[in-house]
Amino acid sequence: MTLLEFASGPGLQWALWIFVFGVVWRLIGALFLLSRKDLTKPREYNSVAAGVGAIISRSAPAHAFEKSIRFQHVTGYAWHFALFISVLFFAPHILFFESVLGFSWPHLPNTIILVTAAVAVAVLIALLIRRATHPVQRFISNADDYISIFVVLISLITGILAFAHVGARYETLLAIHLLSVEVMLIWFPFGKLMHAIMTMPARYQAGTAFGRRGIKA
Amino acid sequence: MNIEAMSLQDFRAKVQQQCEGVPGQELSDEERVRRAKKMFMKKLNGHRAVDLDSCLQCGMCAEACHFYEATQNEKYAPVYKYRPLRRFYRREMSPMRWFYRPFTRDITVEDLKEWRHLVYDACTGCGRCDMICPMGIKISAAIRVVRHGLAAAGYVPDEMRVIRNEQRDQNTLFGVGAEQLKALVAKISAQGVDIPLDREQADVMLLTTAVEVLLFPDTLAASARILNKAGVDWTIRSDAFEAANVGIITGDDPTMALAIRRIVDKAKACSIKTVLMPESGHAYQTMRWEGATEMGEALPFEVLSMPEFISAEIQAGRLNLEARSNGASVTYHDPCRLARKGGVMQQPRDVLAALGLEVRETPTNQRENYCCGGGCGEFVLCGAADLRQKAFEIKKREFDETGADKVVTGCANCRINLMIGADNAGWETPVTSFVETVADRLAN
Repeated sequence: MTLLEFASGPGLQWALWIFVFGVVWRLIGALFLLSRKDLTKPREYNSVAAGVGAIISRSAPAHAFEKSIRFQHVTGYAWHFALFISVLFFAPHILFFESVLGFSWPHLPNTIILVTAAVAVAVLIALLIRRATHPVQRFISNADDYISIFVVLISLITGILAFAHVGARYETLLAIHLLSVEVMLIWFPFGKLMHAIMTMPARYQAGTAFGRRGIKA
Repeated sequence: MNIEAMSLQDFRAKVQQQCEGVPGQELSDEERVRRAKKMFMKKLNGHRAVDLDSCLQCGMCAEACHFYEATQNEKYAPVYKYRPLRRFYRREMSPMRWFYRPFTRDITVEDLKEWRHLVYDACTGCGRCDMICPMGIKISAAIRVVRHGLAAAGYVPDEMRVIRNEQRDQNTLFGVGAEQLKALVAKISAQGVDIPLDREQADVMLLTTAVEVLLFPDTLAASARILNKAGVDWTIRSDAFEAANVGIITGDDPTMALAIRRIVDKAKACSIKTVLMPESGHAYQTMRWEGATEMGEALPFEVLSMPEFISAEIQAGRLNLEARSNGASVTYHDPCRLARKGGVMQQPRDVLAALGLEVRETPTNQRENYCCGGGCGEFVLCGAADLRQKAFEIKKREFDETGADKVVTGCANCRINLMIGADNAGWETPVTSFVETVADRLAN
């Protein structure tokens, strides 16, 4: 079995299993811890509207805070947009998703993908530098914060190298890219990459908690 | 009115004197850690678990914390203040604990000692950090669990522990009990304000606080005048008047429940329909938003803050006010537990506007308002005075930007803290009570 055969075969399968099982396990484990029922009389509110409202409203900081967190706000959006475009609209990625999901969607030109991937790498490096130098972020950070950045960064860089055919044979580069993505998938449920899944329930519960007191979350 | 009151200086000296020579709780280090962890386990529910599993460690919450802003000390980042709880969750309760455990350090007694400063001195539980978190994490709720853990470990600061014990064991606060209230009621009545004390049946039961009795008796007189003017069938009970709850402040559930129970039982016995909370943010939060859950049943009465009550009475046409502005402007300081933790934000502004006052907003207000710097009992902690003063400077800057003639607030604890801060800073803008501001403009 070649490295590429392993990476695109059992390696990928195992990584996906660990990813799916880990995410479900961690999500259920947290959600199923019991909470005491709130017996206080709520103000007039709609819990679903309040929960969904918080999912939307927390996508942007309140005006009062905007100035102090502008860097994180802007880089946060730049990072996520660049990542999603690079992952979801690159032709070879779409072929892979089609083989798993059974359907496809239009892709973007390679030049655009190269630019978005480069932007994603640049922003992530900027966030890494900030984490290592900003007094608060450096102080509160632990291994998870750095591991989570590195596993994503390496996936992106190996992807760009494979795309550009730089440094080794294409098959080797592709295998390394696949393996790095698999490492990221395996790490996902253990570290803070899990926020991608937790965002919705966390914001939703904040929305309902504030909503019952008549406060916009 | 001008009822004789204790000076702020005397009050501070009294607080300091009360805790002098009081021995700390004797426990072994192992027992302290065991108790703290047991409390963390009890308090870690699904909501907190989702919160702890969602944190990005982005550190944005620091930008919302007045203590961080005032000092730039990274230890005051709210995310760091609940670090022991996060560590405990990861080691003992997370679905991934089998993985985290070898990499996550256990809690030690040194941690508990360090966090005593971080969650009592350097956190007022104001919840401003809750409003900035991009994940919607209730950071202040997690920090509150750490307070609970420290309380269980016997690490409540002396000043708070003394008054907690006093409320629990003697049903008094700062030495104020039934006799002191009765004496004050007699003084107020002598000035022509009727206070229906200790009635067996009434529609409305007004609560007050020891702080009001000692420092701000005019506020109680003002509340009485408003209730009388609105023609309300009301009473105040000398055996159940204390709205302040040191249990919630310290993180001591049994004391919190006991203090709530005293009010609830009396209100039930007197067939009360509305319990009216005095100017105390944490008291409102406790009774309105935690009382029923703590009692294990829906409360058979409504709980209202004074701004909610007054606003409703004006709208119903039962309370007539004179709109005498004379060009006066005020800025309203939102008490955290009334505003972003209680949902009472528009009512006080509507009422102040109805009085003809020009209400000028501070740059941040309502749900994003800065805390006074001394909430959640922090104002009694002698060792945190410097920190409070630094936080006050932020408030001072915000108030000055409005150019308003007066600061009005609906919480006596905020008022004390702002007055002390103003006194120390030589800042002369008056800080007044919302209820007194209304009572001064009652129509004849």
